[in-house]
Amino acid sequence: MSSDPDKMMSKADKMTKLTLTRWSADWRGATELYEQAANGFRASNKYEKAKVALEKASKGQEMQASPWDAAKHMESAAALAQKLSIWNEVADFYRKASELYIECGRAQPASDALGKAARALEDVKPDDAIQLYTDACEILEEDGRDQMAFDLYRACANVYIKLEKFTDAATFFLRLGVAADKCDATNSQCKAYLSAIIVYLYAHDLKQAEKCYNDCSQIDAFMKSDQSRSASRLLTAYNEGDIEEIKKVASSSTVSNLDHSIIKLARKLPTGDVTAIQMNTNDDLDEDDLT
Amino acid sequence: MPVIDIIFRVDEICKKYDKYDIDKQRELGASGDDAFSRLYTSIDSDIEAVLRKAELASTEKNRAAAVAMNAEVRRTKARLAEDVVKLQKLAVKKVKGLTREEQESRCDLVISLADRIQVIPDGNEHAAKQASNDWGGGASAPNKNIKFDMSEEDMDDGFFQESEESSQFRQEYEMRKKKQDEGLDVISEGLDALKNLARDMNEELDKQVPLMEEMETKVDGATSDLKNTNVRLKKQLVQMRSSRNFCIDIVLLCVVLGIVSYIYNALN
Repeated sequence: MSSDPDKMMSKADKMTKLTLTRWSADWRGATELYEQAANGFRASNKYEKAKVALEKASKGQEMQASPWDAAKHMESAAALAQKLSIWNEVADFYRKASELYIECGRAQPASDALGKAARALEDVKPDDAIQLYTDACEILEEDGRDQMAFDLYRACANVYIKLEKFTDAATFFLRLGVAADKCDATNSQCKAYLSAIIVYLYAHDLKQAEKCYNDCSQIDAFMKSDQSRSASRLLTAYNEGDIEEIKKVASSSTVSNLDHSIIKLARKLPTGDVTAIQMNTNDDLDEDDLT
Repeated sequence: MPVIDIIFRVDEICKKYDKYDIDKQRELGASGDDAFSRLYTSIDSDIEAVLRKAELASTEKNRAAAVAMNAEVRRTKARLAEDVVKLQKLAVKKVKGLTREEQESRCDLVISLADRIQVIPDGNEHAAKQASNDWGGGASAPNKNIKFDMSEEDMDDGFFQESEESSQFRQEYEMRKKKQDEGLDVISEGLDALKNLARDMNEELDKQVPLMEEMETKVDGATSDLKNTNVRLKKQLVQMRSSRNFCIDIVLLCVVLGIVSYIYNALN
């Protein structure tokens, strides 16, 4: 076997092409050559060619009915594509890898692959990243492993917050709450609800925040928790226009245990919201005014 | 004269003058038939015991023990008071062989007994005195004998003014209370942080549990596979390395070496 990866590639290609002399493709040999070629290319830093080689190796494994190896090769190819910043290929490769993992019946690696893809695309193509996160969460939920989905939900909500789509972020936190409820993870559930309320407040949507709080109060676990107390304090502070109180709640330990992005929002809370507070105080004057 | 004679003489003299021995007469009287004297003597001895206890209680340093003893004394006093009532009823009854004067004297005895019981100190007077002092100012209308405690001269401006000492004391108290509150706040924050950490750790461990179980089953499968493989390998090796094959191998090796050396020699 020649040690030159290019030669190996061409040889392997020939093995797989069907001609008059070759009636069935020798996938085993071809796959081996592709793998070796890919290693050679990687060693010599020719990432583009390595990626192509890995793609073909993966195809070979697939033909040999070993989806696990095929998926592994796809993931490596995707990682190389990420290094080369070819973003649509990143997404495609990781999706393919995920499908192959599902074929193996392994949901966790499948969702991991999609999660890796989403993380790679977070900054560049956030919408795709969100879609990937959602798909990853669905895979896990179907398999009944909701607990693993918590991190994905949180990451997805963070992306939404970065995009300033606050209602969507809050929705995702509520979905986190549902998943946590299924696994009896009360702490995560309460933290998720509190995060949703804070997000609504940051979006100047006091009514929505109150509605959210009322909905969540139906749940026993949330009602009895520290987080619900902080939420009610926050909402009453908002209704009374008490900036000091808002700041105090935002710097309390309950809020400081949430995600970093939420803490940042909470710290900024009252300053983003002065007009709403004034509206509230005007309402108070109207109530006092008996004429 | 010999000692025994002296003893006998002393005994005689004692017997002669027994009627002057008060304690003995009382005992004899106590062993009398009627219920009155029996009850009287028993109450008498109880009163003595209670008096002793009351003395002990007044000298007791430990407040809790003193209070307990006073309570005991009060209980016994109540019981004795009931007994005195019974005694009174008995005293009024007519008994055979009793003169009229003795009957009257019995009633007097009962009354004196009741008084003695009342007099026993049981720690209440101290409290009663304090209470009467506090209430000296009010509730004077129904009972004209109660006088106001404070006199008019004391009611000048300086009477209710807080002294420097007391205001300093109050300030110090407030400061210490504030410091305590601050300390407690710090502790509470620390506890909050700990609680959150603990809960997160709890959830993380819960997440890991099914993973560990899966890993366990997989590793169990892998170990059993490995064991099987090892056993089979061992069998194969044993078969291959059985002595017969080994000897044959050596013999053939020697034969080959012999042939090679022959050819070598032949060539040279």
